[in-house]
Amino acid sequence: MRKIDKKQADAYFRTRTILVTIYLLIGFSASFGVVMFAEELSGFSVNGMPFHYFMGAQGAVLTFIILLFVNAIINDRIDKKFGLDQDLEDKK
Amino acid sequence: MDSQFLVSLVLILATFGLYIGIAVYNMARQTSDFYVAGRNVPAVFNGMAIGADWMSAASFIGMAGTVMLLGYDGLAYIMGWTGGYLLLTFLLAPQLRKSGRYTVPEFIGDRYSSSTARLIAAVATIIISFTYSIGQLSGSGVVIGRLLEVPTAVGTIIGVVLIAFYSALGGMKGITWTQVAQYLVLIIAYLIPVIFMSLQLTSNPIPWLSYGQIIGELQQLDQQLGVSEYVVPFTEATKWQFLALMFTLMAGTAGLPHVIVRFYTVSTMKAARWSGAWALLFIGLLYLSAPAYAAFSRFILMTQVAGSSIADLPAWTTSWVNTGSLSVADTNGDGILQWEEIVISNDIVVMATPEIANLGVFVVGLMAAGAMAAALSTAGGLMIAISAALSQDIYYRSINPKATESQRLLVGRSSIIIATVAAGIVALNPPGAITQIVAWAFALASGTFFPALILGVWWRRANGPGVIAGMLVGLTVTLTYIFAAKFGGFTILGIIDTGAGVFGATAAILTIIIVSLATKPPSKETQEEVLDLRYPEGMTYKDGEVWRTDPVETKRPEH
Repeated sequence: MRKIDKKQADAYFRTRTILVTIYLLIGFSASFGVVMFAEELSGFSVNGMPFHYFMGAQGAVLTFIILLFVNAIINDRIDKKFGLDQDLEDKK
Repeated sequence: MDSQFLVSLVLILATFGLYIGIAVYNMARQTSDFYVAGRNVPAVFNGMAIGADWMSAASFIGMAGTVMLLGYDGLAYIMGWTGGYLLLTFLLAPQLRKSGRYTVPEFIGDRYSSSTARLIAAVATIIISFTYSIGQLSGSGVVIGRLLEVPTAVGTIIGVVLIAFYSALGGMKGITWTQVAQYLVLIIAYLIPVIFMSLQLTSNPIPWLSYGQIIGELQQLDQQLGVSEYVVPFTEATKWQFLALMFTLMAGTAGLPHVIVRFYTVSTMKAARWSGAWALLFIGLLYLSAPAYAAFSRFILMTQVAGSSIADLPAWTTSWVNTGSLSVADTNGDGILQWEEIVISNDIVVMATPEIANLGVFVVGLMAAGAMAAALSTAGGLMIAISAALSQDIYYRSINPKATESQRLLVGRSSIIIATVAAGIVALNPPGAITQIVAWAFALASGTFFPALILGVWWRRANGPGVIAGMLVGLTVTLTYIFAAKFGGFTILGIIDTGAGVFGATAAILTIIIVSLATKPPSKETQEEVLDLRYPEGMTYKDGEVWRTDPVETKRPEH
């Protein structure tokens, strides 16, 4: 064990928290946000369905899946930046 | 015995043989293996296993039918059951993984330094998982019973024997690889009929792109008939019920013990994130297909079944009418079956559609095998959660701390058998519709575990008295609202029993905050442990300083 600068560790935590907040805001807008304004958003079509229906049946789910993969990829990069690559450590 | 019966039986037996074979091959040797599979399952396969664990009889058999009958309002289930993975993967899974605890009650007990909190959590785990598994067992009873042409009760008993056998024998390791096989069986079974129907109706083999066209035609058909239109929102309940149900299903997902325990089967926080992402991709494949399934089924019923002469209805109608889930009475006596005269239960839509669309004996048999995979895989995960709560949290931690490994394993295995048999007995005469029971389990999870875990991970000031009061209040409010809405006709903003979780969760969160602030803060060690969860594995927080730890020290020792 060796001591590291607490500021660096807190920078990691802050980056993670900001990113998670952004992901959740996007995810909630795609689901709760669209439902709140379902009537207003039904005027145009995407993929052959009214927009509010498209979001409920496909758009929100696709958004969630993309968010989780983006999170996994970006977090791996952040880990690498902070020298925390877990795969590399396994090989040592 | 017709050819349909033989084909279905062969397919079910072949897939069951596969699952049991895998379970026996992976026979568990040690407790750590038994509960969390030695934590060496790769993320992609862990994602598939989470998917199989997750997609129950309600998702496989019930969801497309619900969307078909409720139209837009049914989509709350699609968004709620997938959106829960955002809360789980972003707010809970990596932290719970770092905490290195085996079960949810163990985490709650240690985090809040309270054996009372651990006991309440263990009892809540058992109540939630048990309620949920009743639905799975009665679902498997319906499929087996209808298929083998035996009473539903006999079908349920066959399901009980199967699930008790491989859960107790293989443990989680057996179940993890068994569930990978089950995922593949159930997703293939679900996609084949959707793709065939898409080809039949639109000549396009990609249902996700083609069903928009069918939805447009459904809108026109609805307008001609003057019935409430398929895509128009909030025709079945209020907007607030839609939002409350969606919240309940999301928060419940993030608080379900048998889903969370999956995130202990990975070796690192990184693997926990990837497992969550893969899981949602595999789950999404079915959830994106359910609205297509619903649109195709409704279109076939409206154009090919409605409008035909009542005297010469296709053969499939008779067998489903006999089950009591379908009614095709010619109420206006004109000799023609109208759309309004078809009354179909949402639980048979998925099982009956391959027959209605004339997809052949093989596809119908495959659907039955897939439905069984969905029901049994979820029941297996639930039984492990019950067994872990009983043998680890109640027996080992509270009753007999000196228990040897073999004693704990014995308690674990016998509790699986007892719980399966008990759930089976209740399932012989279920207390409500399957989907209803499942929704109650979600409401209870969002009223108890969701607040306790979220605040436990993200707020270090939350303490033992707070969480004890919070879980009890959440449980009481949720149960009271379910009963008041269901039997007393009491509703707030039109929110019915299935949306009860929103009130339970709010009450529990407020109680935890108020009681925690009114009582002593947690010990310095506990607060430091919570702060430590902020940092990734490889960083350890201690006495206001952060230490870089060796990977060897980082990996949790096996108990």
